[in-house]
Amino acid sequence: MIRLIDVHKSFGNQEVLKGINLHVKEGEKLVIIGPSGSGKSTLIRLMNYLEEPTSGQVYVHTHLMSHNRRAFINKIHSAMVFQQFNLYPHLTVMDNLTLGPRKLKKVPKREAEEIAMHYLKRVKLEHKANVYPTTLSGGQQQRIAIARALTMQNRVLLFDEPTSALDPEMVQEVLDVMIGLSKEKNFTMVVVTHEMGFAREVADRVIFLDGGVILEEGTPEHFFKNPQNERCKAFLGKIIR
Amino acid sequence: MTELQASLLMLSNGGLMSYFFKGVAFTIIIAIIAIVIGFVFGSVLALVRNYCVSGPQRILKWLAVAYIEVFRNTPLMLWIFICLVSFPVPSIPVAWAEAIALSTTEVQLLFKSIVALVLFTSSVMAEIIRGGLNSVDKGQFEAGYSQGFTFVQVLLYIVLPQTIRAIVPTMLSQIITTIKDTSYIANIAYIEFLGRVFRMIQLAPMYTGQPTQNVSDVFVLCGLACAIYFTINFAISLLVRSLQKRQKTVRVAYAAE
Repeated sequence: MIRLIDVHKSFGNQEVLKGINLHVKEGEKLVIIGPSGSGKSTLIRLMNYLEEPTSGQVYVHTHLMSHNRRAFINKIHSAMVFQQFNLYPHLTVMDNLTLGPRKLKKVPKREAEEIAMHYLKRVKLEHKANVYPTTLSGGQQQRIAIARALTMQNRVLLFDEPTSALDPEMVQEVLDVMIGLSKEKNFTMVVVTHEMGFAREVADRVIFLDGGVILEEGTPEHFFKNPQNERCKAFLGKIIR
Repeated sequence: MTELQASLLMLSNGGLMSYFFKGVAFTIIIAIIAIVIGFVFGSVLALVRNYCVSGPQRILKWLAVAYIEVFRNTPLMLWIFICLVSFPVPSIPVAWAEAIALSTTEVQLLFKSIVALVLFTSSVMAEIIRGGLNSVDKGQFEAGYSQGFTFVQVLLYIVLPQTIRAIVPTMLSQIITTIKDTSYIANIAYIEFLGRVFRMIQLAPMYTGQPTQNVSDVFVLCGLACAIYFTINFAISLLVRSLQKRQKTVRVAYAAE
């Protein structure tokens, strides 16, 4: 579904990704972990071209990504959930959810609102349809952001540290929604996270990224019980107590 | 005392008053047109300066920067003088001018005044709008791009609505400033309100019956000017404030649900 071929990315003189080859299969749930500054955020943002690679190719489905085709490809294939939620503050929750479908997919208003309501129920926030996002808690905002991603009805869901900006007691409500989604075969999910419990539970494959290269890669069983790479071992040792 | 009474007599002179109120109408027309064109042109300048940053588009950015900096950093009075004295105006058919009950000279003056104000106002508004654009979080663009919006769509549906909300207070004070700035034209021509007030201060003896101009003439006519400028501008600021308040109460009402 997503294929990265020898992708390099530099910011100025600093090379953040040093030749990534990665194939995310359709329906796969991929978790990316790694220390901060390892390039994992840049990696996931390459998948919908919020970052453009310095060299190498990104394919989504059968399309080769480019600056000019980004809007078209994202519209029909992927949706992203951000660390900082990035809801549209000038719109109500309902309008946040219907803006994309109505303007991009020309879904009629009534139908778009029905779809939005369906996903609001799914994240258990149907009673918040008419409020503005800033009146909600972080956990609620992130669930709305997930609902917004779902209303586009695309197959690829990208999560860029979705729980990192949340207060601890709100992390679980967001993870529960994501765990629910991971049970659906239709969705291809790529998740950058520090939640190892989540990774263990939902991932088909986990990759460990450090210094801009993939150092370890495997199923969660292999990954957490028997990592080969020294740096990966050290990282897991620090993070899992 | 009789001097003051004589001066006050001018306020009940119908012909004089309609001369003044025609001036008020000119002031408002010049200001409205200058504000509208200034806002539109200023928006374009702000967008170009902010977003035409790569490749050959950069030439446009430099032009916008040059324009903004030149007009923002030079006195408005200078541009009003230059434009009123020497800005080329196409000759206007008398019939057109008559259609809106004006003389051709008046139409030409109006045109030149508006050009001068637009030059200056658009540069100031561009910077206000740019400040608003920069206040919108970068994440808003990313959220839009990730949904599949193009740059123009992100601006239209997501960034500009937030920009406009952010700049309302600053834009309001610029609108009021622009209305007051029309009075600079009084230095060059008698067309808008303050120009007509100055003219009538000079000609006061014709209306007061007094042998000379008196301080009380200045007092009365400038008082009138004060009252009218204040009424217009204060009304605008009350209107905008009540609009903002209504918008806020709508939000709070939703939030309370």
